[in-house]
Amino acid sequence: MAQTETTLTTKKKSSLSEKTKEAISAYIYISPFFILFGIFGLFPILFSFYLGFQKWNGLGEMEYVGLQNFEWILTDQIFWTSLSNTLIMWVLGTIPQLIIGIILAYALNSALIKMKSLFRVAIFMPYVTSTVAVAIVFGIMFNNQDFGLFNVILGWLGFDPVSWGTSWWGVKIAISTMVFWRWVGYNTIIYLAGLQAIPNELYEAAQIDGATIRQKIQYITIPMLRPIIILTVFTSTIGALQLFTEPLIYIGRSFREEGITVVLYLYREAFTNLSFGPASAAAIILFIIIIIISSINVFIANRIGR
Amino acid sequence: MKKWLMTILLSLVVFSLAACSDDSDSTSGDSGEEDSTSENSGNEEETSSDSGETVALDFWIFGSTGYQELVDEYMEENPNVEITINEGEMNDMHNNLFTSISAGSGAPDIAQIEISQVEKFLEASDQFYNLNDYGANDVSGNFLDWKWAQAQNVDGSFQIGLPTDIGPTTMFYRTDVMEEAGLPTDREELAAEIDTWDAYYEAAKTVKAETGKFIADTPKLVFNALRDQQEQQYFNKDNELIIEETVKEAYDYTTKMIQEGLVGQNELWTPEWGTAMAEGTYATLPGAPGWMVANVKGNAPDASGLWDIASIPEGAGNWGGSFLTIPAESEYPQEAFDFISWLTAPEQQLRSFEIAGLFPSTPDVYENEEFLATTDEYFSGAPTAQIFAEAAQAVETVHMGVNYAVVDTELSTALTNVAVDGADPQDEWDAAVERINSQLERQ
Repeated sequence: MAQTETTLTTKKKSSLSEKTKEAISAYIYISPFFILFGIFGLFPILFSFYLGFQKWNGLGEMEYVGLQNFEWILTDQIFWTSLSNTLIMWVLGTIPQLIIGIILAYALNSALIKMKSLFRVAIFMPYVTSTVAVAIVFGIMFNNQDFGLFNVILGWLGFDPVSWGTSWWGVKIAISTMVFWRWVGYNTIIYLAGLQAIPNELYEAAQIDGATIRQKIQYITIPMLRPIIILTVFTSTIGALQLFTEPLIYIGRSFREEGITVVLYLYREAFTNLSFGPASAAAIILFIIIIIISSINVFIANRIGR
Repeated sequence: MKKWLMTILLSLVVFSLAACSDDSDSTSGDSGEEDSTSENSGNEEETSSDSGETVALDFWIFGSTGYQELVDEYMEENPNVEITINEGEMNDMHNNLFTSISAGSGAPDIAQIEISQVEKFLEASDQFYNLNDYGANDVSGNFLDWKWAQAQNVDGSFQIGLPTDIGPTTMFYRTDVMEEAGLPTDREELAAEIDTWDAYYEAAKTVKAETGKFIADTPKLVFNALRDQQEQQYFNKDNELIIEETVKEAYDYTTKMIQEGLVGQNELWTPEWGTAMAEGTYATLPGAPGWMVANVKGNAPDASGLWDIASIPEGAGNWGGSFLTIPAESEYPQEAFDFISWLTAPEQQLRSFEIAGLFPSTPDVYENEEFLATTDEYFSGAPTAQIFAEAAQAVETVHMGVNYAVVDTELSTALTNVAVDGADPQDEWDAAVERINSQLERQ
C-alpha cells in the first residue's frame, strides 16, 4: 500500500517537471514570432499612438500638442480625398478580382481543361513578381501619351487617348489594374483549394436530381465556398486599405491628389514633410477605419450564414 | 535530444534578430558593388586610430558618382582602410540616412547629402561630427565660398560636410534638331542667337514650325532653369515662403510655352523621359548641370556626336551637387575625415569629373590648363570643362530652406496639370500655393 503511494508521488513529480519542460520548449518554439512582433510590430504601434499627440520632426525634441494633429488631419481636404481614393480603388481592384477568381478557379477545377498544373502555375506567377517591377511595367503601359500601350489599344477601338497618370479615373483604373493583375492568381488558388474540398457526392446527387450547371454553382459551390469567400474578402479588404507600393511607384513622389492613398498620405507627411505627429495621427485614424470596416465585414458575413 | 533542439532554436532566434538588424545597415538591396569581405574585416577593430588595424568604413552614395574607382585607389594606398560603397536611389538614400539617424543606429561612417537636403540634416547637427574639429577649416580655401557656406550653420562654427561636386547650369542641345530647324549648330553661334529667354521662346517657335518638335520635353526643366538663376528661390533667410515674388515669373513663362505647344509633357526621370533623350524628339535640355552628362550618356548611348553644350540664356545657376558628411555614430571620424578630404581634394575632384562628369567645387582646378582642355566627343567635342567652369563663376549662394522639397513637389504637380490636362495656369498656381501652405503649417 505504502509502496504504491510513493510510486504515485514520484510519478506525479516527474510528470509535473516534464510538463514544465514541455511548456518551456513550447514557449521557445513560438518565441521567434513574439520577439520579432514585439520589436517590429508592437513597439511601432504603441510608439505611433504616442507620436500622434506630439509634434516631432524626427530628429529634434518632441512637443506635446494634444489633439492638434488630429484636427489638422480631419480638416485636411487631401486626407479625405486619399480616403475616398482608397475606397474607390478597393472596390475597383477587389470586386472584379474576387469574381474573376471564382470563375477561373471553377474553370481550372473542371475536367475539361488539359495541362492543369501549367495553368495553375501560370495564374499564380504574378503574385510572385515584385510589386515594384509590376508597377514600373504597368506604369509604362499606362503612359499618358498617345504612344502608351493602352492608349494605342484605345486608339484602335476608336477612342481618344486618356492621360492615365493625371486624370481622376485614369490613375485609379491604372492602379486597380495592377492590384487586380497581381492578386487575382492568389485568390484563384485559394478558391481552387476550396473547390477541391467540396465532396463530389453533392454534385453527383444534384446530377441525379437533374440540376443544371447554374443550379449546381448556385446551390452547392457558392454556399460550400462561403468560408473561403469570407477569408478572401477579409484579406483583400485589409490589403486594399493599406495600398501603398503601386501608387508610390506609379504616381511617384508627386503624391498627386488623384492617386494618393491613405498610407501614401501618411508616408508623405512623415518622410517628405517630416511631420511625424500628423502622420501618426493619420495612421491612428486609418487603424480605426480598418476596425470599423472589418466589423462591418464580420457582421455581414455572419448574417449571410444564417 | 531536447538540449540540442533548444540550442538550435535559440541560435535561430538570435540569428533572425541579427539578420534583421543587419538589413537596416544597407541603403538599398540592389547595390552591386557591395564588398562582402569587408564584413569580417571589422572583427578585430580597435577604437584607437593608427594602430595598424583594419578600419572599416561604410560609405553611402547616390546617383552616378563613379566613386568606386577612386575608393579602390584609396584603399590601395591605405591598406588599413577598408571602404564599402553602398549605392542607392537619391531619395531612398536620404530617407534611410534620416531614419537611421533618428533611430540612433545603422548610420554609415560617411554619407553623401544632396544640396537640397543638407539644411534638413544641419538642423540635427548633434548627429554629425563637426568637421571643423578635424581640420576642415584648413581645407576650406580649396572650395567655392558659396558652396562651402551651404554646409555650415549660421555663425560658421559647425561644418557638416565637405563639398563634392556642383551643378552649374548650361544648355545641352541636339545638333541634328537645330540643323533641321535652320538654327545655328555651332555652340558659340547658338549661344549668341539664344541669349535671352525671349530669344529662347522665339527659337522654340522656329523649332516647332520647321520640325514639329519641342524645344524642350519637360516643363519642369524649363522652370528649373529659370528658377536656378534666381538669387532667392522658394524661401528667404527667415524661411518665409516667397515664391510669389521669385519664381512666379518662371512659372508663367513655362506655362506660356506649354500652352503654345512649344514644350512637351514628359516628367523628369521617367522611362519616357529617357527614351526621348535617345530619340531626339526635342531640341534642348535647358538648365542641365555637369552631372547630367552621365544621365544623357546612359539614356542615349547611341546618340554620340548628336549632342552639344552651349551656355544658358541670361546666366548660369546651380542645380544639385552634394556634400560628404560623417554621422556621429561613426567610430572612426578621423579616418573618415582623412578619406573625404582626400576624395574632395582638387586632384580627386578632377578625376571624378573625368569619370562621371561631376563638376569640381574647387576653383583652383578651373585654371588648370589640362582641365580646361577637356573635350567630350559625345558632345560633339565640346570643351565641357571650360563651359561649366564659366558657368560656375556666375553662381551665387542660394538659401534653399528646409522645406524646399515640399514646394518643389507641388509646383511640379501644377506644371504637370497644365501640361497634361490643359488646366488653367493661375488656378493651378493658387491650388499649389494652398497645398504648400497647409503642409508648411504642420512643420
